[in-house]
Amino acid sequence: MPTPFEPLQDAALSHFLMTGAVLFALGLAGFLCRRNLIIMFLSTELMFQGVAISLVAFSRLHGNDTGQTFVIFVLTIAAAEAALALGLVVLLFRRKRTLDCEAWAAMKG
Amino acid sequence: MSKLDAFKFIPWIPALAALICGACCWHRKLRVYAAPVSILSIVAAFLISFGFRDAVAAGNPNTINAFSWIHIGNLNVDFGYLIDPLTLVMLFVVTGVGALVAIYAAGYMAGDRGYARFFAYVSLFLFAMTTLVMADNLVLLYLGWEGVGLCSYLLIGFNFQKPSAVAAAKKAFIVNRIGDLGFALGIFLTFQRYGTVTLWTGDAGSPGVLELAAQVHDGTLAAAPADLWIPFLLMLGAFGKSAQIPLHVWLPDAMEGPTPVSALIHAATMVTAGVYMIARLLPVFTLCPYALPTVATVGAITALFAALIAASQNDLKKVFAYSTISQLGYMFLGIGVLSSVGAVFHLFTHAFFKALLFLTAGNVMHAMADQLDMRRISGLRRKMPLTCLLMLAGCLALAGVPGTAGFFSKDLILASALQKGLSQHDWRITTLAVLAIVTALLTAYYTFRLWFRVFMGPAKYEMGPKHAPQEPVDESSDGDIRVEHYHEPHEMNWLMNGPLLVLAAGALTAGFLCKEWVTTMVGGAVSAAPGSADGHAAAGAAEILIFGLDVHSFMIVVSVVVSLGGIALAAYFHWLNRSAADRIAVRFRDVVRALQNKFFVDELYDALLVRPLRMLGSLFYIVDRLLIEGLVSLVGALPRLAGMAVQTSQRGFLQGYGLGMAVGTGVVLLFVIYLTK
Amino acid sequence: MEYALYIASVIGAIALTMMMPRRGHTPRTLGALLGAATLGGLWLFLAPVATTEGAAMTYYYVFSGLAIAGAAGVVTHPRPIYSALWFIIVVLASAGLFLVMEAEFMAVAMVIIYGGAILVTYVFVIMLATQSGDPRQAEDAPTYDRVAREPVPAVAAGFLLLAVLLTVAFDTDRIKPNPNTRGLTADQIINGSKTLGLERILSDRPDARLAKRIGADHTIRMPLHNVERVGLDLFRGHPLGLELAGVILLVALIGAVVFARTPIDPGDE
Repeated sequence: MPTPFEPLQDAALSHFLMTGAVLFALGLAGFLCRRNLIIMFLSTELMFQGVAISLVAFSRLHGNDTGQTFVIFVLTIAAAEAALALGLVVLLFRRKRTLDCEAWAAMKG
Repeated sequence: MSKLDAFKFIPWIPALAALICGACCWHRKLRVYAAPVSILSIVAAFLISFGFRDAVAAGNPNTINAFSWIHIGNLNVDFGYLIDPLTLVMLFVVTGVGALVAIYAAGYMAGDRGYARFFAYVSLFLFAMTTLVMADNLVLLYLGWEGVGLCSYLLIGFNFQKPSAVAAAKKAFIVNRIGDLGFALGIFLTFQRYGTVTLWTGDAGSPGVLELAAQVHDGTLAAAPADLWIPFLLMLGAFGKSAQIPLHVWLPDAMEGPTPVSALIHAATMVTAGVYMIARLLPVFTLCPYALPTVATVGAITALFAALIAASQNDLKKVFAYSTISQLGYMFLGIGVLSSVGAVFHLFTHAFFKALLFLTAGNVMHAMADQLDMRRISGLRRKMPLTCLLMLAGCLALAGVPGTAGFFSKDLILASALQKGLSQHDWRITTLAVLAIVTALLTAYYTFRLWFRVFMGPAKYEMGPKHAPQEPVDESSDGDIRVEHYHEPHEMNWLMNGPLLVLAAGALTAGFLCKEWVTTMVGGAVSAAPGSADGHAAAGAAEILIFGLDVHSFMIVVSVVVSLGGIALAAYFHWLNRSAADRIAVRFRDVVRALQNKFFVDELYDALLVRPLRMLGSLFYIVDRLLIEGLVSLVGALPRLAGMAVQTSQRGFLQGYGLGMAVGTGVVLLFVIYLTK
Repeated sequence: MEYALYIASVIGAIALTMMMPRRGHTPRTLGALLGAATLGGLWLFLAPVATTEGAAMTYYYVFSGLAIAGAAGVVTHPRPIYSALWFIIVVLASAGLFLVMEAEFMAVAMVIIYGGAILVTYVFVIMLATQSGDPRQAEDAPTYDRVAREPVPAVAAGFLLLAVLLTVAFDTDRIKPNPNTRGLTADQIINGSKTLGLERILSDRPDARLAKRIGADHTIRMPLHNVERVGLDLFRGHPLGLELAGVILLVALIGAVVFARTPIDPGDE
């Protein structure tokens, strides 16, 4: 293993980025085509995961820890957002008894 | 302050009065102050001009400067007043007759809601008219010109609730405008030609227009092509203001205004502004050999034309309106044959008797509750004897019966015309003179037709629209049948009759009293043009004998014959044997119809000018609505259309938006990657 | 090389579309197999690029495969509870990836926060907000779960983005380490600034204490652990962010309380 203080020299970084990108793309595809609100939010969490992997990979590339710090903040925000979003989902479900995102298309042109 | 400086105040006292009367409009209680203020201002102006008349000696004009106005580049226009004898004559006429008419109007307009407004307008008119006659430069003259036009509009449309009055006011203003366009162009051309608009400066270093024109006459200044055009443009303005053919159509309609307005503006003062203007600018007019003959021709033809129409009109005021047009034609004829004394003298006397005639017609109108149709009034002499006599005085003067003022002034013009035509062997001017004599016959005829119809004959009358409705009088054939009415015509009060007496006195006596004075005054005016054939003092006129009499005596004989003949004709047809008139009218039905419809001139103008303009206006309206508004609306509609087009993409589904964002981001990134590779 | 990426993206997109829930029969297994084949093929193709990792690369392949499979499961399963469970697998796999990248703190934090807090919340909400009948019968699941909405454009968009990102990721000329932002080594920290408190931290480390106890030279500086490094960077480099993160969490808490107290009348609106 390369010493942790040395930035990554080889191309393995690209593979980690690839993984992050695939996770992000899968999350995006899921967000765009699933109708269940909960699964939509779960897809966004999936996108966060992809981003986190990419960030940590980059932090390893550059040899500093800013990426990891950023991931900590991302985690914080994701947690807060998940809490609030799920609260909203519950409220919305109570109002319309459905989790179909097409039920809340009232702001149409 | 010399005596002459007092003249500075003449226009401004009525202006101040106008402001005060305007303030009086505010509250009903203040209304009663309007008339005294206005009358006093006019009387004050008259007193100033009369009192300081000695300061104005013949042949010694002066200019006084009230204040500076426009100084731009070469153009120097001040509120300056040229006080010379011609001005003085005009001032007498304007302020004198103005004061008398104002006093009459104080009684006539009593009870009207716009009482204060009326006197405000009248004072404003006096300001504008005095500015006009006293102006020492063309621009200030134009200011006065436009001012009187404005006041005419305001006063004709005084009863603005009546649509016919409003239409008449508009017509007057617009027709005047056409003339004013010519006048304005003439002023521009004058400025371009002479480099100044000041009329007379008395300063050899910077001469005024009249002095420069005299220099052209002498040969010291080279002639220019503009000299030929300036008179024609200026005369267009004169024709508009003085209601000559073809711009005469506004004056009969202007009778919609109250009678004092007709008397003051459309008989005595405003319409004479054209004559004054030509008299003032005579040196300029003589530079073009065709100008003055044109003026004379138009004047004579108008006189005949209007007299013919007047002979068939049934409305009291319309008869006098056409009579005014006809008499103005006389004045233009006079000035066209270079008899400026004749023209101005006729102006002077005409002011008296025409104002008198209008005001007595106002009396009749007031007494008959606005009834003006001659066919419905007859035999008023018993009920209104004073008015009958006053109108008789005016009619005698108008007909030119020897001894009256009208006789002297008309005689002057006719004699000059005939003399000039015969001595210069110019058959055209002789023809005009003959036409003028025929017109004199007609004048006497139609004047007395009116008087005989209204005052003589059996006494039957129909009250007018202002009267409370009663059953009409049944037509009885002849005899003095007095019909009992609830409300009978009666004489007016002294406030109204007083000025009429003064005017009647003037109409009868001003002839022999003032003739010499006017002759000296006008003859010595600054605009005396070289080569003027002023009446009897024509220089070097050959002795011409007609039937053994020299021209003037011949003219006197002819005038007597013509006037008395006209009166006799009128007496026969309209007093003694009215049914004969009716039979002739039936026999010559078409002629009568043409005359009554004013030779269809109004209809001609309507078809030729008004309708095409209206169609053009409609066309432009369509262009404006469709094209311009359409374009503007299009510009406004485009964002809306764009919005509506994009609107359909907002379907409310979050995922759709997300899709768009994702695809967009991908595409943009693709571009960036490939561009920066 | 890019063409391989593009082809893999396209086939992967097809595979994912096949796996998406739809009316009637879904070729899920087929899609899964196709996707796995694509991924394997791509890795094989890219193997020469990855050098000398040895065991690390093996761990990478394992964890990545798990993560991607789990992600596919999250996105394509018709029932939300299973999606949540697949997500837990994703979290664990990504924690493994972090471990491979020697970001231990990240790995553990991820498992704790995601697996321990967020997903628990999700499971609770799924419990509260599901209208379902017999779990054994897939036909009872509501329509919005059973049918994906226009999967093709969605997948296409996602994989378009993926293709672009992959192009960048494998563009080694473009991605280079930035020498100006090198983090600091322990030696540099100690020798450079003699900052107060760091000596104490560094001498308080277990290995230093152990060295002291056994009398070895405890001033031999061992490399900083990931936790220490992250902590140094977080508290020395971004203290404001840290405070703000705390504020955000507080606000979220308040917001959640407000939500919970909102009375809702059920009914269409």
